[in-house]
Amino acid sequence: MSNSDQLIYKEQDACEVKINFEKLVIDKNEIGISLGYSAGKTPSYFMNMIDEVVEKLSLYCKPRGGYKIFNIDSPRIKPDGIYINNTFYKMDKIITGQIKKSEKVAVFVCTIGSAMELWSKELFSQGNPMLGYIVDTVASAAIESTADYLHNIIGNVMLNEELKITNRYSPGYCNWSVTDQHLLFSLLPENFCGISLSESALMLPIKSISGVIGIGRNVKKMKYICDKCGVQDCTYRPYFLAMNKRRHFKIKV
Amino acid sequence: MNDGLINQIGICIERGKVNKASPYPGDMVGEDGSDELTRKALSDGIGPDLILQACNSGMQRIGERFSRNEVFVPELLMAAKSMNAVMAHLKPYFQTGTVKAKGKFVIGTVAGDLHDIGKNLVSMVVEGNGWEVIDLGVDVKMSKFVDAVKANPGCIVGLSALLTTTMTNMSKTVQEIKAQFPDTVVIVGGAPLTSITAERMKADGYAPDPQGAVAFLNKVSMSWKNEIIA
Repeated sequence: MSNSDQLIYKEQDACEVKINFEKLVIDKNEIGISLGYSAGKTPSYFMNMIDEVVEKLSLYCKPRGGYKIFNIDSPRIKPDGIYINNTFYKMDKIITGQIKKSEKVAVFVCTIGSAMELWSKELFSQGNPMLGYIVDTVASAAIESTADYLHNIIGNVMLNEELKITNRYSPGYCNWSVTDQHLLFSLLPENFCGISLSESALMLPIKSISGVIGIGRNVKKMKYICDKCGVQDCTYRPYFLAMNKRRHFKIKV
Repeated sequence: MNDGLINQIGICIERGKVNKASPYPGDMVGEDGSDELTRKALSDGIGPDLILQACNSGMQRIGERFSRNEVFVPELLMAAKSMNAVMAHLKPYFQTGTVKAKGKFVIGTVAGDLHDIGKNLVSMVVEGNGWEVIDLGVDVKMSKFVDAVKANPGCIVGLSALLTTTMTNMSKTVQEIKAQFPDTVVIVGGAPLTSITAERMKADGYAPDPQGAVAFLNKVSMSWKNEIIA
């Protein structure tokens, strides 16, 4: 399949791409790890619940995603942030250090829709919090996988132009103020991919991810290292230590 | 005989055995759960306070195992569910004042934030530990927290947030509660928080997880009791 086949529509140079649900990778072992268990040690009762939820995932998970490419304004990258469309985005050196060689940036958003969160809420209100919690955890894995998929699509599109990409970075993480969501969303068409922003910068549907990916000839995807961040008792740190993977964020309760 | 029944209720709480039909935990399939055993205990004339004591011991044990990373949120949730099955039987005794809750815990997700799973988990586990929980819901304005403190003198307040943006609202809410009710104890929790940020916003405590909240509440309750005794 060519990259153009993946395009659903283009508006103001923003491309919504087809996210194929079948291609999402939901690793049940990883879900067990995010519940707290060591790999392969999730008790069978909870593993059965994970199976049950993953089996129904296609009914509830409706992934959508898209992106828009911007040239990075000159001066390209300062130690404390970058200019996109004449607007300065203040960022920590954790991010600027990784994207400093970028020539362009992809502003992206993706979501799995709101059905999973509604399902989870319903289970909680019906007195089945355990299954509700599992639904929420699986939903988090699904949106991460959706973001991975979109990340790869952007990588492939850029590869055609002989450009490489960086890791993805989101407002609210790595000391990038989440209030910048408003500025970021102003770069995209309204309600792009069905995602809106509340006054407090909360994306709706809740299981959504937004952010930027650096693009250039001399950039690369790095293994994400939590120890670059000073927040020692961060909720996510134990998860990443357990996972020992490159992912740089994860939605949790 | 009664001791055996009481102990068994405590074990059901610790192991998360809700009722006979529940397939969890695997090694207790087909056995009575906290639901059946509590009904039996009450009909045998065992006092609700003794049942509650056994439940709290069970929750205490699972909480300690959680703190030692021997069990995780799912086991804690199952224990809370088992505890709630007991509480359904004990509710009339709370209403008549025969047994008393450890205290009142007002909880809500601060204004601007709609996330409620973390808050719900904390509510369940705290309630399961014998506290009366007043859940104000999500996107709770400062004034609503203040009104709840006014309406529930002596309560402890728990503020939850998932978004870093709403931490500002959380900080303002802590300050407002403290300004109007300086003696009210406020605990905060949520993914973007750390013990350092909690300290900066002048909260009395920070809970990284549901059991952390319970440990804090029990500590406060104990210090109050000691003050009364002194």
